[in-house]
Amino acid sequence: MSSTTLATKGTEPPAAGPRASTTPRRHRTRHAESRGAWILLAPYLALFLIAAAIPIGYAFWIALQKAPTLVNPASGFGGLDSFITVITDYRFSGTFINIFSVMIVWLPLMMVGIVGLALLVHASPGRFGSTMRFFYFIPGALSGIANFVLWVYLLHPTQSPLAPLWQEVGFGSLKEIVTDGNMPMILTGMLFFQGVGTWIIVVNGGLNGIPDEIFEAAKIDGANAWDLAWRIKLPLIRPWIGYAALMNLAYGFQLFLEPYLLRQISSGAIAGEWAPTQLGYAFAFTNRNFPAAAALSIILLVITLSIGVVIVMKSGLFGDEKEEKR
Amino acid sequence: MSNSAPGVVGAKHWTVGRIARITVMVVIAAAFILPIIGFIAMAFRSQEGVLAGTDGFLGLGGVSWENAVYSWSQINGFGPGAGGLFTRWVGNSLVIAVVGGVLALVAALPAGYALARLRFRGRKVMLFATLLAMVMPNTVLVIPLFLEVNAIGAVGQLWPVALIMGFFPFGTYLVYIHFMTTMPQELVEAARIDGLSEISTFFYVALPISKQVIALVAFFSFVANWTNFFLPLALLTSNQENKTISIGIQELIGASPLFNATVAAGLDVKLYMPQLALATFLSMIPLLIVFLTAQRFLIRGQTVGAVKG
Repeated sequence: MSSTTLATKGTEPPAAGPRASTTPRRHRTRHAESRGAWILLAPYLALFLIAAAIPIGYAFWIALQKAPTLVNPASGFGGLDSFITVITDYRFSGTFINIFSVMIVWLPLMMVGIVGLALLVHASPGRFGSTMRFFYFIPGALSGIANFVLWVYLLHPTQSPLAPLWQEVGFGSLKEIVTDGNMPMILTGMLFFQGVGTWIIVVNGGLNGIPDEIFEAAKIDGANAWDLAWRIKLPLIRPWIGYAALMNLAYGFQLFLEPYLLRQISSGAIAGEWAPTQLGYAFAFTNRNFPAAAALSIILLVITLSIGVVIVMKSGLFGDEKEEKR
Repeated sequence: MSNSAPGVVGAKHWTVGRIARITVMVVIAAAFILPIIGFIAMAFRSQEGVLAGTDGFLGLGGVSWENAVYSWSQINGFGPGAGGLFTRWVGNSLVIAVVGGVLALVAALPAGYALARLRFRGRKVMLFATLLAMVMPNTVLVIPLFLEVNAIGAVGQLWPVALIMGFFPFGTYLVYIHFMTTMPQELVEAARIDGLSEISTFFYVALPISKQVIALVAFFSFVANWTNFFLPLALLTSNQENKTISIGIQELIGASPLFNATVAAGLDVKLYMPQLALATFLSMIPLLIVFLTAQRFLIRGQTVGAVKG
């Protein structure tokens, strides 16, 4: 199909295409093409090695070393000792329970928010819809530390615009608000606020990719706005919903900034090793136990890589199908 | 959200469903925007006004330029001697974000082109590795990266951070999608017939039609670098002078009498909520500028990036 434009020029027989060239020449061009590709990839490959492959390999190697102690300062091959140190650490399972306690509240809310708002935006054509989509995106621009300071302002029991609400519930100080029990709610608020807008745009992009004829046909068949959203749009954007869910799930395992800083503003009411990444940070910077820090990183890496493989292989969004159509 | 459901049945023009949909959307938009307005207002209020609680709705009544000037003197006074750490941190962030962004472009443009338009052994593996690295949360690698940088004794220096940020697989993916959707394979074939080498084809044929994706990659990588927290925290905390603004703000929070009376008591400057809000607001200005510059590309880019072509 794609060779029609070339074929009309009449230089080559239409059906044959580029593959019809003689074998030795094809071999030579294939070789040149391959060499050119690797030259073009070289800078990217170098950075890939520096920022991903080498640190991962090095972390594996470090994780298999013995941690030097005061009694025995020599390090050496320690096998899986550091993994055992990490898994049997009294804080290890707690950090994962903490993460799950947040995800149980946050993920369902996030998914309903993303899909619901994306459908609402899509059902509002014209200026109103795009203005609303832009408004939903704005908090996403305040990611990281800026979002955190914004939330400190919102959570402050006397200086927040929500202060009457906090006082009504009986919170008098930040220390009373930022507690272990409230962590799922606080983190849900922070992550929802900062993340939902970007995902609305992604899912909205998926919705915009659906051909209009489908909606026209459904309308002729008597479908109303609700039927369109529930019976037509929702099934068609399932790949994007799955993609968003898995990406957010993987994101949950690497939470660091929010619990780390919440500890700081709550005068230590939140544990210093609340999330798995914080435990890794403590192993590296407090205990100077690099093998344990590396082992914990590898555990997290295996979890998030597995989620990543599922996203790439199963979501259907990253296939080569486009290319095969050509 | 779902309460718009029953109203839509039997739809005419200004139906209950339509009113419900618009109301829900406006209320949620207000819940997203009002806190931000209140926060920006906070940057222009005074601690006295905040404590007295007399500044009215969202504190908008207490806003003044003088307040911001005073708050700036406090922020700028933070640090040893005459202070000035804040501007230093912003400068560091600029250097890291720009160098990281340029490296990301230099790497992503040829790589994305090669992955999209050239056939070679290992292509699928590279594409898979790129996608995997793209969907993986970046903080997972911070400790391994720290161990690597520590092994070469470069902890506390800026260049390893910028170099690491240059690895931006999402950028490579964007370029890949760009060439897949906008550059027909025939163009590459035609360049070959004209006798161009693979490298020249990239420079003379592919690069000139890449303006939009260059803007996209530059924007996304700048934002990612600017807001990155864990990587600079692990690599730069040991060197006060070389911190970035994201971890610098963390230090300001730690020095605020709101959260840490003991540390704050030993400081000449007082960092209350208005000062913290102003520092955060100022740290967002470069992002705002980049966003406004890239905006027209972003709007068009949504269709390229999100819809997969």
